Amino acid sequence: MPRETNIVKILGQKNYEKIRNTKCLLVGAGGIGSELLKDLILMDFGEIHIVDLDTIDLSNLNRQFLFRQRDIKKPKSTTAVNAVKHFSNSKIVPYQGNIMDSTQFPLHWFEQFDIIFNALDNLAARRYVNKISQFILTPLLESGTAGFDGYIQPIIPGKTECFDCTKKETPKTFPVCTIRSTPSQPIHCIVWAKNFLFSQLFAAENTGDNMDDPNKDWGTTDPEEIKRIKQETNELQELQNIITAKQKERIPAILKKLFIQDIEKLLLLGNLWKTRDKPVPINALDIVKSPEDEKLDLNNIWPIQQQIQNFINVTEKLIDRMPKENNFIEFDKDDEDTLEFVAAASNIRSQIFNIPMKSVFDIKQIAGNIIPAIATTNALVAGLSSITSLRILNLLKYAPLKDAKDLNMAFTAKSSNMSQNRYLSNPKLAPPNCKCPVCAAVVRGVLHVSKKSLETFTLQKFVECLQSQYEYEEDISLLDMTGQRLLVDFDFDDLLQKTLSELKLHDGSVILLSDDSDRDDGMLKKPAEFYIVVSGSLNEEKMELPKLNIPLLPAPPSTTDTEETSENVDTVATTEGGQEDVITILDDTDTTSSKKRHFSDDDEGPPTKAVKQAIDDDIIELN
Amino acid sequence: MLDSGANTGGNLLSADEIALYDRQIRLWGLAAQANMRSAKVLLAGCGAIGTEITKNIVLSGIGHLCICDGHVVTEEDLGSQFFLARDSVGLKRIAAVRERVVELNPRVALSFEDIFVDTMDEEFLAKFDLVIGTELGEQQISHLNKLTRKLNIPLYVAGSNGLFGYIFVDLIQFDGTNEKLQSAKPTVTGSVSANREIIKVEVHTDDDDDKKTFETIMTRNKYRPFDEMLLNATLKGQLKRRQLKRVSNVLPLTLTQLQNSKLLHENAEKFTENVRTMCDQLGIDQGTLSQEYISQFINQAGLEFAPVAAVIGGVLAQDVVNILGKRQLPLNNFIIFDGITLDMPIFEL
Repeated sequence: MPRETNIVKILGQKNYEKIRNTKCLLVGAGGIGSELLKDLILMDFGEIHIVDLDTIDLSNLNRQFLFRQRDIKKPKSTTAVNAVKHFSNSKIVPYQGNIMDSTQFPLHWFEQFDIIFNALDNLAARRYVNKISQFILTPLLESGTAGFDGYIQPIIPGKTECFDCTKKETPKTFPVCTIRSTPSQPIHCIVWAKNFLFSQLFAAENTGDNMDDPNKDWGTTDPEEIKRIKQETNELQELQNIITAKQKERIPAILKKLFIQDIEKLLLLGNLWKTRDKPVPINALDIVKSPEDEKLDLNNIWPIQQQIQNFINVTEKLIDRMPKENNFIEFDKDDEDTLEFVAAASNIRSQIFNIPMKSVFDIKQIAGNIIPAIATTNALVAGLSSITSLRILNLLKYAPLKDAKDLNMAFTAKSSNMSQNRYLSNPKLAPPNCKCPVCAAVVRGVLHVSKKSLETFTLQKFVECLQSQYEYEEDISLLDMTGQRLLVDFDFDDLLQKTLSELKLHDGSVILLSDDSDRDDGMLKKPAEFYIVVSGSLNEEKMELPKLNIPLLPAPPSTTDTEETSENVDTVATTEGGQEDVITILDDTDTTSSKKRHFSDDDEGPPTKAVKQAIDDDIIELN
Repeated sequence: MLDSGANTGGNLLSADEIALYDRQIRLWGLAAQANMRSAKVLLAGCGAIGTEITKNIVLSGIGHLCICDGHVVTEEDLGSQFFLARDSVGLKRIAAVRERVVELNPRVALSFEDIFVDTMDEEFLAKFDLVIGTELGEQQISHLNKLTRKLNIPLYVAGSNGLFGYIFVDLIQFDGTNEKLQSAKPTVTGSVSANREIIKVEVHTDDDDDKKTFETIMTRNKYRPFDEMLLNATLKGQLKRRQLKRVSNVLPLTLTQLQNSKLLHENAEKFTENVRTMCDQLGIDQGTLSQEYISQFINQAGLEFAPVAAVIGGVLAQDVVNILGKRQLPLNNFIIFDGITLDMPIFEL
């Protein structure tokens, strides 16, 4: 009997032919992606396009079963496609690229697919694909795993909750003073060693920490302490000179400064130690260089003398590397020298503050933000995701789908310690959250503009077109969501005479138009989001606005009051959200910018408010 | 028998192994990884689920895996088994899969045997620490289970019926440990169900955050042999009335199939009657069991389907890794999967 016998029995002949004509997009060829690719092939999907940015690493091989030792450093997407040839009956198209690159993957490219599978490892790309699926109304199967935990969520735009309808955990952040003055956990010392000390010494122009910013949130209001932090930063610049001048013999001076003098100064701030254990500076006699030992076991915790030794040795190595690397070395968890420096520095600091030290193995996980990952959870989640696609596409002979809300999501209930008698929890999908700034709280459309018009239209003209087309009153605001900038609002009109191309709006830019009017009846037009598609000739002026019905709605309650009263977050240990000026540990893959903010986390207030707030912050910082 | 002592002394992992297994060692620790390396596992049946299990446990870095299968590759197999290629048809399965399985993780010792479960005897099975059987008939399961019981070896059995699947577990007796954040109500020792008893609870605070308290809970699990489970399976007294109402129809259908799989194909009427009897035995409502649903099940009986194999193979392999590494609590003892609703309950039968 032929290869497809079983699936034909499950789907029926007619539906089997449909799946042979179905085109799907698989975003990610990593842990879940490898598994999904295999499942989709065996389900006989007609065409599968697979996108991944990454290359293969040794630590992928415990789960990404399509890759071998010999494939290390090769692109994941093309390698995966070669590895499935022997059992594939589908047309497979690989791409090496970032799914968020709108030049390589413009909106119309996404429109060719019947369904999208997310197999991603970072929040930014998940949000991006989610938004794309909302623009083009294509079903999305979202999935993720972390260790034993995994989930899948089908997303049917307009009918069920989108990825952003529920609040997502954002990277953990800490107030400045916890990191700089009063650490109480190993992670505080690791953040200090990595984000502050290491970058200051070896990647100096990259810190972007503006000490003169009047709006900076220090996590404290004690002027003495702020003064001390500022002074310490200036002194650090002197330490950086030791590194760039290659004065290896002065490495002990760095240790003395960081781990004796700075701590002694800190001890003078009596207020800090009323309720905390006082830190104890290291013993100056321990700061001696001895010959390098044989390789130490990275899984053990070494004594303080050894940590100091390591600090000296690894700093020497890094000093030697500096001239060859343009005096700029970035922290990379897989760069042994940078990892060992951070490990030694954070452990010495931990010892001082009476915090347990950690092994290099453990510090690598925290500093590199490594998420444990195993083959079994990925196989399970990919299996669930692929099987659910049959219901979304309505291909199950015996279980026709009447309502999108009859679809089930699933997460690992037993492994996540949430249930003893269910392996999976499988709630039905919820309708969109009416406050969701990504799906329900905005109207959405695609705006076409010719290349010529992009060069000639001023922002003023552009805004006027939008206003007249959609009948907005005078006060509107326009945000560039892609560039995370405010373009215009009632008290910011500086950019009105610039052309669209001068404003760096381009094919793939997303802009948000919102009603800023102050009407007596308290009604506001719903915000509208536009995806800009640049097409057509350089000679013809042309802009096509989509037909949208933008309703008037009662204005949401103002959040101004709470914003004004919440300015002091003084002694709070950790703060959530992206609006405080905080040190952030970023996702493994978010290496582009340390300023990246997930600005749509605020699901309480109106969406534009949160966005504008975040954008304002950025402008202040950049100046 | 599964080695129950701590197993790290003299069995250190090399730096290469630590680098390769980094992402899972961060989950279950070095000791568990070393324990896994010393385990010998037998897999009987390398169909769709067997293929998934092979992939998962070979990647995990188990010590030795022996794959037994006497089948010849058919066209149909190509639709759900990714170690096979077009030119595999007509070859013995174990010969066709061999090269690709070896490539998957050269550190794992592999052996391949061209035999079916029916001819396995005590002497053969005694070499293994754990046995997995997939896509077996009820006599084969019963035969295998009698031997594993006699030899005191843990047994896992799995199968699928199109969109539906099941896992049967017989670890005889197993003390499993898991760790969790202490809730407002601390865990106490004592019986939690007919076959599970908490025998020890240790409390410790988190190294990094002394406000967090963790409990290390040791649970003793007792299991029933396959034949006894089929005879006596019931949910009466275990589940509340409302829970009984919501029990998936896949459960009585699968159990009835395991009683007599021939009947399902030869006499649908009699099979249906037996399913209704099974509902009564289990104490669940037959009202929700439509004829259409039964026909769907019969129509899909014995069919291999890749995504279901991925789910069943993933869950089973995870449990194998857990008990070899001695982390997390084992499954106890019958799990079904419904690929339409993604329902996956665990029943103690």
